[in-house]
Amino acid sequence: MKQIDKKVADSYFRERVRLIVLFLIIWFIVSFGVVMFAESFENMTFNGFPFHYFMGAQGAVVTFIVLLFINAKVSDNIDKKYGISEEKNEQLSAGKALDH
Amino acid sequence: MDTQFLVSLTIIIASFALYIGIAIYNKAKETSDFYVAGRGISPFSNGMAIAADWMSAASFIGMAGTIMLLGYDGLAYIMGWTGGYLLLTFLLAPQLRKYGRYTVPEFIGDRYESHSARLIAAICTIIISFVYSIGQLSGSGVVIGRLLEVDAKVGTMIGVVLIAFYAAFGGMKGITWTQVAQYVILIIAYLIPVVFMSLQLTGNPIPWLSYGKIVGQFQELDQQLGISQYTEPFLKGSKWQFLALMFTLMAGTAGLPHVIVRFYTVSTMKAARWSGAWALLFIGLLYLSAPAYAAFSRFILIKNVVGQKISELPAWTGKWINTGKLQIADANGDGILQWQEMVISNDIVVMATPEIANLGMFVIGLVAAGAMAAALSTAGGLMIAISSSFAHDIYYRIFRPNASEQNRLLVARISIATATVIAGLVALNPPGVITQIVAWAFAIAASTFFPALVLGVWWKRSNAAGAMAGMLVGLAVSLGYILAAKYGGFSIAGIVDTGAGVFGAVAALVANIVVSLMTKEPSQSVQEEVYDLRYPEQMTYKDGQVWMR
Repeated sequence: MKQIDKKVADSYFRERVRLIVLFLIIWFIVSFGVVMFAESFENMTFNGFPFHYFMGAQGAVVTFIVLLFINAKVSDNIDKKYGISEEKNEQLSAGKALDH
Repeated sequence: MDTQFLVSLTIIIASFALYIGIAIYNKAKETSDFYVAGRGISPFSNGMAIAADWMSAASFIGMAGTIMLLGYDGLAYIMGWTGGYLLLTFLLAPQLRKYGRYTVPEFIGDRYESHSARLIAAICTIIISFVYSIGQLSGSGVVIGRLLEVDAKVGTMIGVVLIAFYAAFGGMKGITWTQVAQYVILIIAYLIPVVFMSLQLTGNPIPWLSYGKIVGQFQELDQQLGISQYTEPFLKGSKWQFLALMFTLMAGTAGLPHVIVRFYTVSTMKAARWSGAWALLFIGLLYLSAPAYAAFSRFILIKNVVGQKISELPAWTGKWINTGKLQIADANGDGILQWQEMVISNDIVVMATPEIANLGMFVIGLVAAGAMAAALSTAGGLMIAISSSFAHDIYYRIFRPNASEQNRLLVARISIATATVIAGLVALNPPGVITQIVAWAFAIAASTFFPALVLGVWWKRSNAAGAMAGMLVGLAVSLGYILAAKYGGFSIAGIVDTGAGVFGAVAALVANIVVSLMTKEPSQSVQEEVYDLRYPEQMTYKDGQVWMR
């Protein structure tokens, strides 16, 4: 076990939080944001639907899925940048998992 | 007894035989390689298991019908039940994984160092799971009612017996591969009718691309029939109700005990992130199809059923009228069925549409099997959540720490039987349609666990007094609002019972913060543990320093 600079650890946390905040802003806009202004999208059409309907039925859901995959991938890259090894993580958390 | 009954029953029994077979096969295998290291379940398979766990009778049986009858306003369910996975995966799942407790009451009890908080959390788990299971029993009543052509009430009673057995035998739950199989059956059963209808109506087999055309035609059709426009927003409720319901479902998703538990089965924080992503992809497949299902059903009803002579309606109508979920009355006495003369329950749309569209016996049977998988698997899981909260968290951890294993098992079995019977009695006369009942469970979860978990993970100053105040205030506000709105006609800004979570969550958040700040801060070791959740497993926070292992 070796000590690492608190600043390095903090910047790891900051990068992850910045990412989460960014994604939650997009999450909010595509769902709550579009609903709030639904009436103004009624005359735009997309994929055969009025735009507000498209966002509710397809657009928002697809955005959510894409955001989760981007989050997983980018977080992996951040882990790599800070020298976190997944094998080590698995070792450390072994036995803490409820495997069924 | 007709051929359809035999076909449906055969498919249902065959699918259950498959689940049981996989469960037995895996159990045998498990003992043999118990000590082999690194036997992790990949995030991909885990995602499917989460998806099967998650999609209940509300998603499978109730949702498309709700969208069909509510039009745009029903889409709050689509966005709410998918968007919650972002809150869960960003804010809670990886951190809870690192903390490493087995149940939600266990996390709350240990994080807040309080048996009273543990007790409140266990009671909340029981209430949430109980309300949720009423929706599942009501759903199994619809399926069994149609299958046997009896009233849905009788179907519900048969469902109670099935679920009690299912849960008592361990629910075939907890075995990831059984759930993977359940997901596969469920999604195939849902997609086949949608794809067939898409092909029948538009000539394009890809429903997600084709149903826009159908929705586009509604404008004209609705005008002709003189009914409300399908895509026009906020006709069935206010805009605030839509937003409140969506928030309730999202925050509730991130606070549902039986869903959170699934994230304890992954190996690391990284695996938790990937599992969340895969889970939402698999869930999204059904949620993207539900509005298509709704649009096709509505189109077929308008085109083929409305405007027919009532005396010449096809055979399926009679069978559904027997379940008590479809009513047809010739109000104006002209012998022809008008849209307004047909009262169709949200809960039968998915089950009835394959019959209405003449998709054949096999598809009808398959949909019944998928619906049974959805209702029974979730109900089984809920019953296990109830019994473990009662037998483990309350009885064993708090009241009888020296109770024997056998004794605890007995208590667990009794609590399953009691809870199933009581939920069944309530479901005999369901207080709402499935999606609505389930939304109440989400409102309570959003008001109790969501604030307690988010603050517990992200704010080290939050303490036991704050958490207890938050959960109790949230529970009181959400239950109070649901009852006042449902039975007392009370509402704020047009927000009805299903949107209650927004008030409960805000009240709980404020209560937790205010009471925490007024009382003593939590112990040094708990504060360090919370700080530690900022980092991956390999980094540890100790005495103000970060260590790399």
